[in-house]
Amino acid sequence: MIGVGKMKQYSNVLDKPLGKGKQEVSLSAFAFLFSELVQYNQTQVDNIAELERRLEDAGYAVGARVLELLCHREKGNRRETRLLGILSFVHSTVWKVLFGKVADSLEKGTEDEDEYMISEKELLVNRLLSNSFVNCKHSRNDCCVVDLRQTIDKGWIFTGSFPKDMGTFNSGAFAAGIVKGVLEGAGFPAVVTAHFVPIEGQQRPRTTILIKFSEEVLKRESSLG
Amino acid sequence: MIVCVAVVGHQNNPLYIQSFTEADDALKLHHIVHCSLDVIDERVNNPKKSGTTLNEAFLGLLYPTVNYKVYGYLTNTKVKFILVTTDLDVRDTDVRSFFRRFHAAYVDAVSNPFHVPGKKITSRTFAETVRDIVRSYVLN
Repeated sequence: MIGVGKMKQYSNVLDKPLGKGKQEVSLSAFAFLFSELVQYNQTQVDNIAELERRLEDAGYAVGARVLELLCHREKGNRRETRLLGILSFVHSTVWKVLFGKVADSLEKGTEDEDEYMISEKELLVNRLLSNSFVNCKHSRNDCCVVDLRQTIDKGWIFTGSFPKDMGTFNSGAFAAGIVKGVLEGAGFPAVVTAHFVPIEGQQRPRTTILIKFSEEVLKRESSLG
Repeated sequence: MIVCVAVVGHQNNPLYIQSFTEADDALKLHHIVHCSLDVIDERVNNPKKSGTTLNEAFLGLLYPTVNYKVYGYLTNTKVKFILVTTDLDVRDTDVRSFFRRFHAAYVDAVSNPFHVPGKKITSRTFAETVRDIVRSYVLN
């Protein structure tokens, strides 16, 4: 980041500095790290809500740092003070940097003034976690599989399992934590949760992140006019 | 020349203060930094241009004292950077570029997963980078 823009001519190709490289990380590396994170937390908790809360805390730390990083990288930095401004920032910029594309849609909740939803057809962290019993290598028939599907040879890699009685586990809690970190860092405290929304005609349900802003945000927003 | 730089968190808690002269009393510089926080709060809460919300990062010259000038910069997360200098003829662009590099160093320090947001910045790399930036700025 510092000292960018110094170019020198090198006579020997070995002296050339390494290129900056693409600003992306391979999916399998992230999948491995994420599955380890889930498994580590799994050993420390005994119910599903606690596991989701821990993932959310991990995402919160990521979100706070992502906010600092993105605000610095963006040229012509403006501090977002309006609700719609920060929401569209999360929806496009943050999503693009983290997942490579903008989120599918941003909607306003109908029954409450302070609820907004960001939905995604196939959230990256949910794609890596499967709730199905297919291809389970365990001899017991009461467990689910954490799988890495997108490896280079498209094979299945079995990395762990968790018992069926944990119920439906939504690893979108990690993404929800990231959004919460970004919003709270920018001064918009909110309660963020991830939900599955079943859609007919699709095998996997759509993931929706529900954002509920706190009282003071709405008061400030209405006073700003 | 630059006498002191400081990073102040969003609850006005100091995260990093470093002074670069031995002659002056460090305590006096801390006091000056502390007073400038009031000026920042004033600027942020009462935007001068009515109608447009003040959301520019660089705050400019906060207040000139007897022999110091104090510049401020506000990031998106309400973290403030304060710069105290004794130069009398400082160009605006120079200060802006200084803050940009300082912001880059700050982002690098905060991205450390072991850094707890809200606690003091203890990274040695950050201290060295800041020292390099200040030194290169002085030579201009």
